[in-house]
Amino acid sequence: MPYQLSIVTPQGIAYEGEVDSIVLPGSEGDFGVLADHERFLTPLRVGEVEIQTGAELLFAATASGFAEVTGNAVAVLVEACELADEIDHARAEAAHAQAEQSLGQLAADDDDERYAEYEAALERAKNRLSVSGRRS
Amino acid sequence: MPNLKDIQRRIGSVKKTQQITRAMRMVAGAKLRRAQSAIEAARPYAERMQATLAEIARSQRDAEHALLQSRESVKKIEVVVVTSDRGLCGGFNASAAKHAKAMFEQRRPELDELVLTHVGRKGKEALRREPGVVEGEFYPLEGWVDYPQAADIARRLARRYAEGEVDEVRLVFNEFISTMNQTPRDLQLLPFHSEVAEPGNESEEALAYEIEPSATALLATLVPRAVEVAVYRALLENQAGEHAARMAAMEAATRNTEELIDSLTLQFNRARQAAITKELVEIVSGAEAL
Repeated sequence: MPYQLSIVTPQGIAYEGEVDSIVLPGSEGDFGVLADHERFLTPLRVGEVEIQTGAELLFAATASGFAEVTGNAVAVLVEACELADEIDHARAEAAHAQAEQSLGQLAADDDDERYAEYEAALERAKNRLSVSGRRS
Repeated sequence: MPNLKDIQRRIGSVKKTQQITRAMRMVAGAKLRRAQSAIEAARPYAERMQATLAEIARSQRDAEHALLQSRESVKKIEVVVVTSDRGLCGGFNASAAKHAKAMFEQRRPELDELVLTHVGRKGKEALRREPGVVEGEFYPLEGWVDYPQAADIARRLARRYAEGEVDEVRLVFNEFISTMNQTPRDLQLLPFHSEVAEPGNESEEALAYEIEPSATALLATLVPRAVEVAVYRALLENQAGEHAARMAAMEAATRNTEELIDSLTLQFNRARQAAITKELVEIVSGAEAL
């Protein structure tokens, strides 16, 4: 039974439509949502959202955020979201290299805040690369 | 009587100014539309975030977060003044600066320290000589506002608050109400309170959620994001307001140049007529003398 999914980012609505099932990267581990799931709130980590609509299977790379499951609607609020076939592989590659380089330069002196920032950037870049590899 | 050539030169120069103001008006108009659609795009995210926070505040009263707790005595506040990087937009930045100053005056007696942080160059220039404030950080805008930039600013503010360096953080920015109306306002950013989260008056407790791993853990992701969204919104409003104000200012400037050209053209025609009359008189009186 299909239900309503919306993926919302500060840049706008990244995905909206009826879906059959999704798999979300919860902070405590991936979890699937079918119709009539209980009301549920959880943080999300940087990862991959799997969207199943009929015979079609979509993947999206999402940054961290949270998900709100209410009866027959799921709202995913994340800082950024890109569908697998929207990801520019070359750009993702470049972002990854850039993040790795800045992290490497920083290892010498320990500025915690910067380090966390670059590490997060690297994680996002890795995630986008892996999701863009999943395009169907 | 100024001579013809001078008047002509002035008309030419005013026309060139008019070309510039007219072009700036059009550019500001195009940018305004883009800025408005950015505000529109950010709205669903902000609204859902608010709703969820309010829901948690309502159903999970015991959940806590450092950014939600207010301090007993507020001695040090940080004020973030959001303005544009560029001028030529009428009183837009001046009104934000004025609003900030009025707030300083009002709050100063009870405070030990006032840290002034700027987003956008113009506010920094306007408040450079403000006495008795500690200069905080400065973030130039440089191009279009994006979420990561706002999030970065928000994170730094949140960290200073959480570490106890300041007891309150306020945002001063121009709210974009319409193309013709931008009003400066200030809002308390930290300690954060969601605008609809007044406990008690909502419907019954029926709609509680299953929360995993815990309400506190969820708040740990939610609250910093809500703060980021608030900063992002202020930057977006400021951005749209800037372009709207510039559009209005350039519209007025274009109108002024039109008036100036009209009056100069009139002057030019009069001077030309005077010269012709003078020549005629000379010819006639010359002929009579023969």
